Amino acid sequence: MEQNGVRSSTTITYRTGGANMRKLLVLLTLVLAFAVVFSTTPAWSEETVKVGIILPLTGAQAAFGEIERNSFVMAAEKVNAAGGINGKQLELLFEDDTGKPEVARSAAEKLISKDKVVMLGGGYGSSETFAIAGVAQQNGMPFLVNTGSADKITEQGWDYVFRLNPPVSAYPAALESFLTEVVKPESCAILYEDSAFGTSGSKNFAETAERLGIKVVMMEGYSKGGVDFKPLLVKVKQANPDLVYMISYVMDASLLMTQSMELRVMPKLFVGGAAGFTLPEFVKNAGNAANMVYSATLWYETLPYPGASEYYEEYVKRFNKPTEYHGAEAYAACQVIADTLKRAKSFSAEDVKTALAETDMETVFGPVKFVSYDKKINQNKLPTYLVQWIDGKLELVWPKDVASKPYVYPIDWEKVWQ
Amino acid sequence: MKRISWPTIVVIALLVLFPLVVQSDYYRHIFILSLMWVVIGSAWNLLAGYTGQVSFGHAIFFGTGAYTAGLGVTKLGISAWWGMLLGGPVALLVGLIIGWICFRLRGPYFALATIAIGEIFRLVAIDWRSMTDGMDGILIIQSFRSKLPYYYLALALAIACVFAVYLVLRSKWGYYFVAIREDQDVAETIGISSFRYKSLSLMISSYFTGMAGAFYMNYMAFIDPHVVFSLHDISIMAILVAIIGGVGTLWGPAVGAFIMVWLQEIFRSAFFGLLPQWVSEAHVLVFGLLVIFVIRYLANGIVGDWSKITGDWFKKKQLSYSSSGN
Repeated sequence: MEQNGVRSSTTITYRTGGANMRKLLVLLTLVLAFAVVFSTTPAWSEETVKVGIILPLTGAQAAFGEIERNSFVMAAEKVNAAGGINGKQLELLFEDDTGKPEVARSAAEKLISKDKVVMLGGGYGSSETFAIAGVAQQNGMPFLVNTGSADKITEQGWDYVFRLNPPVSAYPAALESFLTEVVKPESCAILYEDSAFGTSGSKNFAETAERLGIKVVMMEGYSKGGVDFKPLLVKVKQANPDLVYMISYVMDASLLMTQSMELRVMPKLFVGGAAGFTLPEFVKNAGNAANMVYSATLWYETLPYPGASEYYEEYVKRFNKPTEYHGAEAYAACQVIADTLKRAKSFSAEDVKTALAETDMETVFGPVKFVSYDKKINQNKLPTYLVQWIDGKLELVWPKDVASKPYVYPIDWEKVWQ
Repeated sequence: MKRISWPTIVVIALLVLFPLVVQSDYYRHIFILSLMWVVIGSAWNLLAGYTGQVSFGHAIFFGTGAYTAGLGVTKLGISAWWGMLLGGPVALLVGLIIGWICFRLRGPYFALATIAIGEIFRLVAIDWRSMTDGMDGILIIQSFRSKLPYYYLALALAIACVFAVYLVLRSKWGYYFVAIREDQDVAETIGISSFRYKSLSLMISSYFTGMAGAFYMNYMAFIDPHVVFSLHDISIMAILVAIIGGVGTLWGPAVGAFIMVWLQEIFRSAFFGLLPQWVSEAHVLVFGLLVIFVIRYLANGIVGDWSKITGDWFKKKQLSYSSSGN
């Protein structure tokens, strides 16, 4: 016992030689050996058709990942209950990108070379979607993006990358007609998280505002993970715009609104640029401060798309909370994946890609058909909508002909926030 | 040069043979990331572990290297591979300037300054859109489809970095670095210019970190400011790699890099799909527990406390908290 104690005296000195280093290197060798052992684990049996889905399941964007995974699972169960892919079961392999591009790349590499999937889906954050798309294109692996929305993703000429959702530049299309026909604001402030999605969206909205003759009195980004937006909101209050447009995720969306309420920032209307503003977590976290806030959205459950309302009801019943456009995107992506694989001549990458390119179908998220326009290729085109949080429930308010409830405008903030 | 011990040769040989034996691009990719972190961790360790100047901002040099390579493509129209040549020197220059300002002070100022400068670099990269394209990032097309060139390049970088640290430590500089770490006043009294040698240490450290950044640009083919100037994904990760492996040990960061990258991947993929999915959702928690465990029981890291692990770990809790530099 005593002699062992001697060895544990550890002052940090040079450990560049001698027996000690040898042991370290043995350790390093063990780590390597471990890695090699893992690398030779056998593949699964070939009974199913495997599709890899990469989503942020942990980290700041996990709320989005969860709603999308739930929807993917629901859709896949339905596909399999109806006979699967020409008799074979559809198996979705979910991978967590943790919100980091290099991890997204690891996930894509794993799915392609280890799990031997026939195609890839998912892609939430724009940076992560880029990383996955790069791997997919290089390996000739079809990839159906369902959320990553930076415009550039489909502007690279990458023929293996398809996008189901509209690019971020299309998000405020419905808002545009609402502004010109109803609100007619003269000035606006734009706040955004300085992610690829936020920057791209804010730039685009600024151009829209300019075109509509709305003066942009303030345009400012903030960093991920911020909790104190008051300095920013004080500036908004001083600029006193008619409209505040915000492109935010989960926590920042809620905090922006609660702090606006505390500071009594009262523009004619607050509009969120989709993402965090339509999640059920938004109203849960912001409470009363979320009331009467508008948001752009890509989908609503009462839209006349086949299966849309059934999907919504089933989701609520099963997961005990509402779903929104992210979930619908994922559900629709799974529908497209199943349809593609059913039509594909074989599961080779070339055949799957050809089948995917020929997609022309109705989904819960709307019609899906991949077209080329402007600089984009393999891009699905869809209309967008405007929703409003009315007394704790997200209501579709614009365009009028599909509205689930009439919009509330003008808004008396003192009364709403009392 | 003295003889190289046989385990070193075995490890290098294993690493050289690895991608030839393992054909899977996935495992090659994880190894490439591990090797890249060997470079960053070792570089950080030279400065913090041996010279006692803790940096919370190695993303500064990593990002500078990455953007040097990326901007070469977008602004000068040259290949991103020039970044491998230029990324290191540019990062070194940045390090030189930071050191020139900060190393005149002692105490926590350098550590604090690196946090601040890291954030400044990130924000500048985000907002100087005409130069960096902001959050649109820089996207290039990878030069090789095969992983082998990237793998061997990463391996060469890792070997070069560890070997450089080894050489520095055997030279007079290494002794000066440690003297400064142990007691700056004593070092000054015996004629070691702490300013000069702290700067030298930072320059070597930033050079290799910049090289790693340029490599990242070439390999990942997409960067944006949040990715390469990230405080927690790069700067803190560099520290964790060294702490887990062993601060102030030559091989510590190398071991730490492999452990951290693999652990993250093993947990993220729920032990390669062998365990239920919820395991993967706990991977951040596992990281935290590992760090707490290492700091509590292996204050000198896995390599630094190796004798403790193999020796009296279960036999006797020996309280040997020697004053350990950092």
